[in-house]
Formats: sequence, C-alpha cells, structure tokens
Amino acid sequence: MATLLWLQAGACSGNTISLLQAEEPTVIDLLTDFGVELLWHPSLGPELGEAVQAILRDLVSGAKPLDIFVVEGTVVQGPNGTGRMDMFAGRPMTEWITDLTSVASIVVGVGDCAAFGGLPTVPPNPSESTGLQFHRAEKGGYLGKDWVSKAGLPVINIPGCPAHPDWISQIVMAVATGRAGDLTLDEYHRPSTLFTTFTHNGCTRNGFFEYKQSTSEFGQGTRTGCLFYELGCRGPMTHSSCNRILWNRQSSKTRAGHPCLGCTEPQFPFDDLAPGTVFKTQKVSGVIPRDLPSGADHLTYLAAAAAARISAPQWAKEDMFVV
Amino acid sequence: MTVTDSKPIDLEVSPLGRVEGDLDLRVKITDGVVTDAWTEALMFRGFEIILRGKDPQAGLIMTPRICGICGGSHLTKACYALDTAWKTVLPPNAILVRNIAQACETLQSIPRWFYALFAIDLVNKKYAKAKDYDEAMRRFAPFVGESYEPGVVLGAKPVEVYAIFGGQWPHSSFMIPGGVMCAPTLTDITRSIAILDYWRQEWLENRLLGCSIERYRQIQTWEELLEWCDENESQHNSDLAFFIRYSMGIGLDKYGKGYGNYLATGTFFEPSQYATPTIEGRNNALITRSGIYANGVDHEFDHLRVSEDVTHSFFKGTGSLHPWEGVTEPIDPADGRGQGKYTWAKAPRYDVPGQGHVPLEVGPLARQVVAGNAERQVWQSYDPLVRDMLGKIGPSIFLRTFARLHEAAKYYEMTRAWIDQIDLHDRFYIKPVERESGKGFGSTEAARGSLSDWIVLEDGKIANYQVITPTAWNIGPKDGKEANGPMEQAFIGAPVEDMHDPIELGHVARSFDSCIVCTVHAYDGKTGKEMSQFKVNGML
Repeated sequence: MATLLWLQAGACSGNTISLLQAEEPTVIDLLTDFGVELLWHPSLGPELGEAVQAILRDLVSGAKPLDIFVVEGTVVQGPNGTGRMDMFAGRPMTEWITDLTSVASIVVGVGDCAAFGGLPTVPPNPSESTGLQFHRAEKGGYLGKDWVSKAGLPVINIPGCPAHPDWISQIVMAVATGRAGDLTLDEYHRPSTLFTTFTHNGCTRNGFFEYKQSTSEFGQGTRTGCLFYELGCRGPMTHSSCNRILWNRQSSKTRAGHPCLGCTEPQFPFDDLAPGTVFKTQKVSGVIPRDLPSGADHLTYLAAAAAARISAPQWAKEDMFVV
Repeated sequence: MTVTDSKPIDLEVSPLGRVEGDLDLRVKITDGVVTDAWTEALMFRGFEIILRGKDPQAGLIMTPRICGICGGSHLTKACYALDTAWKTVLPPNAILVRNIAQACETLQSIPRWFYALFAIDLVNKKYAKAKDYDEAMRRFAPFVGESYEPGVVLGAKPVEVYAIFGGQWPHSSFMIPGGVMCAPTLTDITRSIAILDYWRQEWLENRLLGCSIERYRQIQTWEELLEWCDENESQHNSDLAFFIRYSMGIGLDKYGKGYGNYLATGTFFEPSQYATPTIEGRNNALITRSGIYANGVDHEFDHLRVSEDVTHSFFKGTGSLHPWEGVTEPIDPADGRGQGKYTWAKAPRYDVPGQGHVPLEVGPLARQVVAGNAERQVWQSYDPLVRDMLGKIGPSIFLRTFARLHEAAKYYEMTRAWIDQIDLHDRFYIKPVERESGKGFGSTEAARGSLSDWIVLEDGKIANYQVITPTAWNIGPKDGKEANGPMEQAFIGAPVEDMHDPIELGHVARSFDSCIVCTVHAYDGKTGKEMSQFKVNGML
C-alpha cells in the first residue's frame, strides 16, 4: 500500500471536485482498489478527527512513511513572507509544506496553483503566492529550482485549472503502482504522456483551423469556424489532452465553443487579464495573431494562411455543427 | 460575549499541535450546552483586489475559481452582473441554458454533500444504541455504505449535462454577457435528456424517494410528508424516509436552530421576463424567488440593503459598507488579533425594514422558506412544504438538511422543462456593446446559498469588484454590534454529550455546508480548557 496525504493550501478545491468526476477508476475505486492508503483528504476523509494531528506528526517525524504527498492550491506566503494568510494546524501552511515535502517520497502538485502559483499570483498578488517549484513560468517557486524529493524527483506537476480527473487519477495510479520511474517530465515538470500534444489535437474545429476560417462570434456563431482567430483560443499553443480525453466524458471547452484559456501553461491567465485581453485574440499589425501555433513564425504563418484561405473548400465556409 | 472579553479561550494556550483547516470554529460549552461560538476563516487569496484594473470580463474567469464546487454558480452571477452593467439583451435560449447549467451543478451537489459529508456522521458511535443504527450503517457508512458510493459517483451525471453545454465542469466560463458560448445541436439535447433520466431513475427515484417525482411533489404539509413516508414499502425504505425517521429518532430536529431569519437572492430566470437584464427587474423575473423572511414577516429583497461589516475581520477598519463601495484591505492576522479581529471572512448584514442590519441565514432552507410565500407571479415557483414544516417543527439541523434533499426533485423537474423549451433554431447569444463604465449586480443560488457579485466599471476596466458568498453569509463573524454570524448562532444551545467527541457540533456545521474545511474546537466554558477538536470536511 502506498500512503497518500492530500492537503489544500490556497485552494478552491477545484481539483478535488474535478477528481470526483473520474470514472475509470472512480475516486472511490482509486482509494479502495488500487493500493492507495488515503491518510487524509480535506473533503473525502476518511473521518479521522483528532487522529489527523497525530498522523501529521508521525509523518513529519518519520514514524510513518509518506509515499505520495499531493498538494492542491497555491503556496500563500503573505503577509510579508510570514505565511499567516493561510494557517493550518496552528502554523502557516508554508511550514507544513516544508516539513512534509522533506519526508515525502514523491510530491505531486495538482492544478495550476500548486504547479505554478495560478490565479492568486496575478499582480498585485495580494497573498504573495507562488507555486511549489515554479513562479508562473520561472523556475524556483517555494521549494527552489533544485529541490528533489526523497525519491530523487522534482515536484510532478499536473496543471490545469482544474486538472482533468483522469490526469490526476492516472498519474496517482502510476505512482502508487511503482511506475514513477516511467514518467518523463517536460520543462515545466508535466508528465509528457499527457502534456506533449496540444488542446488543438482532437479539437472538432481543426478543419476550420486548417483553412483559416474564423468563428465570427459566440453562440450560434460557433456552429462554424475556429476560435483561434478572433475569440482568443489558445488551443494550438497549449499543451493538454483536453480533446483526447474528454471532460465529463462528453465534451471540451473548444468543442462547446469556448476558447481554450491555456490553463495548463504556467503563464495562465495570459496577459494577466488586462483590459482588452479576455476572449479576444491579441494581434500584431492589426491582423496577425500575436501568439502563433507552437513552432510557427509570423512570416511563414502569413504565407501559409493566405494559401489556406485561397484553397478553402465551400464546406469550410458553412455551418458544420448544425441542428 | 465578545472576543476580547473571552480571555479563558486563548488560541495560543494550547500546547498541542492543533490541526486547523481553513475554518476554525471555537465553541464554548458550559454544563453540556454551547454558550458561545466563533468561526474563523483562515485563508486569504485576495481575488477582489486582483480584479481591480482588469478586463471587465475577468470575473468570468476569476470568480469561478474562488470555489471549485460552486464554480458554475460563480460564473452565473458574474455574468448577470456584467449583463446588468453592459445592458445586454439576452435571447431566451441563453437564459434557459444558464438555468440548466446552474441547476445541474446543484443537482450534483445534493447527493454528494448528503452522503459524503452529512450522513457519515449519522453512523457515529454515539448512536450505536439508537433504533435503526444498523440500517444507518448499511446505507451511509463511508465508502462502503450501500447508498454512499452511488450517491457520490452518480453525482457526476448532472454535470455531464453541464459539460455538454459548457464544455467542462468544474471551471467553465461559457456564460458571457449577451448569452452563452455554445450552440447546441439536436444530439446534445437528446443526450442531456438521457443522462438526466438515468440519474432520475438510478438515484432520485429509486434511492432517494422510492416513488415518482410526481407523487413526491404532491406533498404540501408536514403531515402529508409523514404520511408519504409510510404510504408503502418502497417509500418507507427510501433514503429520504429513512433519513426523516432516523434523524427525528436521534433528535436532529431539536437543535441547530440559528436565528430563524432568512435571505434568498433567488435564481433561474423566466426567459420572457429577463431579455433585458436590469437590477430593478431582477426580483420579478426570477423563477426561484428572492426574499427575506425575518421575524415571521416577508420582505422584498433589495441589494442596496446589503452591507459588509469588517469589525472582526482581518481587514482595515471597522465600518460597514455596501459592496459597490466595499474595500478589501487585508492586515496581518497577528495585528488583527490585537484589535479583536479573528477571521478572513467579512460579516454580511442585511438592513431589514424595522430591524436594522441583521445577520441572515442563506441556503436551501432559506430558499424553501421564501418559496412558501404565496404572493407571486405565475412563472414563479411556489412550494409551501418547508414553510409549513418551519411553522410546525421549527428550524433545526433536520429541517436544513431536509430542505437540501427536497430540492432535488424540484430542480430536476425544472431542468427537464427548460431543456424542452430550447429552440435549436433560435439564437444563443446577442453580441453586446462593451460599455466603458457602469455598475452591475448579479446573483444566484449556489447549492449552499445566495452568491452575489457587485461590479463597478470605469474607463473600460474593473474599478471595484466585490463578491459575497453563501459561506460568508453563514459562517461570517460577529459584527460591530457583536451579533453572532448565523452559524455561530446555530451552535448556541446545542447539547454536547461527549466533550471529547462533540458530534452534535459536527451536525450543525455540516448542515450549513460551508464551502471550506472547518475544524471545531470545543472549550470548557468555565475553565477555558480545550476539550476536543475535530475536522468537518468541506467542499462537496
């Protein structure tokens, strides 16, 4: 049995709630059938009452091994570096994170906040928050860039706001069944198996993207076109498997006409939600998207786009997602 | 009793490595009865501060992420706040889809909250000798109870419907000023119906009610409810009838009363009545109504009567301000303690005509009491049952919990009807004019209670943004007049049998379903000694 402790720092609980939607395995099966001994979790129990403090003490002292330490939520360091804006067990949560990360075999940062600091770090970052090993895209964060766990691994980040339930359950299962060594991590410590492809891969609007046909507006306008050109979609630049492993077994943001927000990337929310940036594609020279599909440059993009537009077949200019 | 004169209770005295969650409850117990209570929210992220100066639509991305369980509700009210500020026009389809999404989020929450957070306390060892304890264990034991797993797992079904319209749940931002992002197709509709129907059969009718929704919805009085419980074997064996019988047996109808004063800001709009969303036209257009029920009198809801008091909160000042003028200036809790401040939650208060600024309870009980007001428009939901029960048996842990379960059948019925009203050939969005300035108010009913945003736009950006969550209404602290917050008040009078396992306090706390984890600390009122503490899991 692998022991697992799940704590929430500056969290909205969205990743926990997300995990509840998992079906293969369900969260209950994950905890009862797959060799995970859940020591404590803020929503799911098991109900331990006063025993919680004893467990934390035993973990910190080493009397009980901590195999997997899952952190959800941003590391709140305010005010003035004291950590008193997020108290847990009579001390700043930062102190618990220091103690528990030093005894854990493997540390998993679930969700954008734990991984990169997340929304609370948007300026002016009033809670002085940061991620476990990154502050947005910058390596370091709370634990420092060189930190490794007892098993010799950096923090394994499962970003997303929230992380997809299957991303969490599959990675937890992999770690709990001794396959942590099989995980390759990318530059932001994300498991490559889930975060190499783009949100774009598997998006039902790919045909429209190919011929540079834009969705004109939300609602009925989304019956056709691609959300990348006008509505701020970050699908071609965002590493996620949202369109490979669907959400709630049904859909994804882009399939439902919702531009990808890029929430698995450390820069999320992009442009820090500055006026004029929400649901609007940022452009250079008024026409070319500022952020292009990974690997493309503006000049080649422009040429390819012109050719694509000329060659666009009639269907690409009509509604496809029809009643 | 104020914080400053409660010297026997000193948080720093405890030599134990105390475990606190995001919310601490300090409860003073004298002669086996709670005599005072303090609720302490222990985490601050500062979203209202971050939103200042940002894109007007930033709240659509930011506020759902305040709370993972109520994200869809945050989105709903954030969007209506912008609709009122930008003076948008909404096609009927957009209102229907928003209604459906909001309802589905609540439908997922009802069984998950009941089984995973509330009912697991019903099998506490305190009740080992209670009648039907074995039956309670069989149904509600965590992870293994016959009703526990399906309740938790099937909760995923209603939000599959949310994902069909919104792309994903939690944390979608698919509602935007002027409508919704999606344009559903025929199979989106048929699939949604099939998913909801599965959930109705598997959980709502077969497990919770033991009868058809239609039969259950005929119940109008407490007496009729009791008759329904024993009308036949199937109803008798339902989780709802069992819960009623068992909780009356163990006395959950006897305490956890609170003030008995309620606020609902209402939710769901009648499409024909809210095509041009305004703050003034909001009450009239609601389906699940807004209202205040205080000291037995109904009042119309007016958002201008809401204010937030920070006397005992870790923010600068002691004043009470309307949210449009609201300020959020955090101070170091260490300094705040010296000023009698003890929590990150502000204390929302409502200026009830003739009563002044008072604390009001929000949540399913509040909604259902307001639903019992007979004066209404034809499109507004009327349901006399819970108000009838309030008059006959009074407020309690039992009634608060019953109200939550009662909503499952109602919301299901409404959701199905809204799906049928969607006109796939009509619009889902009307592009709005993005106004540079304006003021907005948007509100909804999250599963756990009223949730509202106040937004002020200037020069094309957010000048002020204030959110009042149901948890703030319920678990907020004492105010400048030292009036308890609603949950603090509900603890008072609660009997505690075993000082070392005060499960009774767990029932009270859980019946409010605060959206953060709380830790209860029980103190001896005479010596100030901490007798016990335990965790109340939150957030489902």
